[in-house]
Amino acid sequence: MPHRHSILCIIPPYMMHEIVKNGSPEQRDFALRSITISEQLRAHRRTALEVMSFMGARPVRAGKQRIVYDAKNGSKLPGAEVRQEGDDPVSDPAVNEAYDGSGITYDLFFDIYGRDSIDGNGLQLDSTVHYQKGYDNAFWNGQQMVYGDGDEDLPESERLFNRFTSALDVIGHELAHGVTSYEANLAYWDQPGALNESMSDVFGSLVKQYQRQQSASAADWIIGEGLFTANVNGVGIRSMKAPGTAYDDPVLGKDPQPAHMKDYVNTIEDNGGVHINSGIPNHAFYVTAVELGGFAWEKAGLIWYKTLTDKLGERSTFQDAANLTFEAAGELFGTGSLEQQAVRTGWSEVGIAAGAGNGENGGGDGCFTAVLRAVGLAK
Amino acid sequence: MGRKVSTAIDLDDLPDDQADLLGELLDEADFFELPADLTRPAMPDAFTYNITVSSDERQHSVRVSDATAPDDLRPLLEELSKQARMRR
Repeated sequence: MPHRHSILCIIPPYMMHEIVKNGSPEQRDFALRSITISEQLRAHRRTALEVMSFMGARPVRAGKQRIVYDAKNGSKLPGAEVRQEGDDPVSDPAVNEAYDGSGITYDLFFDIYGRDSIDGNGLQLDSTVHYQKGYDNAFWNGQQMVYGDGDEDLPESERLFNRFTSALDVIGHELAHGVTSYEANLAYWDQPGALNESMSDVFGSLVKQYQRQQSASAADWIIGEGLFTANVNGVGIRSMKAPGTAYDDPVLGKDPQPAHMKDYVNTIEDNGGVHINSGIPNHAFYVTAVELGGFAWEKAGLIWYKTLTDKLGERSTFQDAANLTFEAAGELFGTGSLEQQAVRTGWSEVGIAAGAGNGENGGGDGCFTAVLRAVGLAK
Repeated sequence: MGRKVSTAIDLDDLPDDQADLLGELLDEADFFELPADLTRPAMPDAFTYNITVSSDERQHSVRVSDATAPDDLRPLLEELSKQARMRR
């Protein structure tokens, strides 16, 4: 096979990877060289994309590359390939939802923030549906999204959860974990972990709002709306507008999220409460977005995106996030701008003073980190 | 996505076939030889399972997640999840 420059040939990346897996030694060598060349080119393009996006120009994208797999109610990942980029919809709604949802998530990140996929370099978006049986969850495993079917195997009267691909913000949430892993890589415990979770709720919610073209004031700010069946007393799994109010159910319990630092939950469970205390930065974002008005992805989302990609680090705390979003707002819109003031208001509403020179604001490292230090698993 | 589910199962309270199945799955996983913590690296939103098995002779606890569970342990996790779901 003649050597072709991958940017000019029509063989898509996922096919190159298949050749690497299954081809003859000569074929593998060609594919590996082509993949290496395209990754080098993507790295160059990414640099150009970043400069162009912050200058307001529309960058050229490598394009969406989506593949959906079916785990057929087992645990082996990724499962059987059932839909790939460009294929027509199939009869399985979970497959189509995973496909469409990852596409809309890609569109938000590319159209608004100039980001080409999760890694900024056109990373293929892999989703597996029908993971296990009766699996009431979805997660990002470091490489792909994985979705359960909820309680679709049970009689309707016994179901609490619908399938997890049915909530677009859940799809956006999981993909955003991937973005975070390539950027700030916020450690998944205590406050950094709660920020990690919050970033996923922020961008998951923005994906839904973007798809609906909803303003901040019109949005519901509920994460996982539609995930619960009618048998559950709740509107979703979390509320960014009113943390702690999303559900109160005899089986599922009550939404445990705080909306203010004074109610911060010190716990060793849930990696130090990452899904619990995320309510605080979630609410800060909601307040900022509503203060600014219009579409939340345009200003508040941009401030948060810039903070995630340029400023936060693995161990950033809520106070760090407050200071850095405030700083980002100043850089994007001007010192003392309405945007920067809105960020300060957002964090003030949750009990954190944003701005340079503000020190740690309570909460500390949390119980989980203290225990990990005690046993030598954290510094 | 942040939910907590817990359940306690006494094998003596189960029908024989279910109790036998759990016993077999514990053996298949070599449960009592597993390290206590199998959750690293932490994967966002993956279920974390805290399993404690007690008998007259011994007790052992293992913490593991969906993303990090060894293949031999997965059937036990799935059966325990199924049992927890039946009891919710």
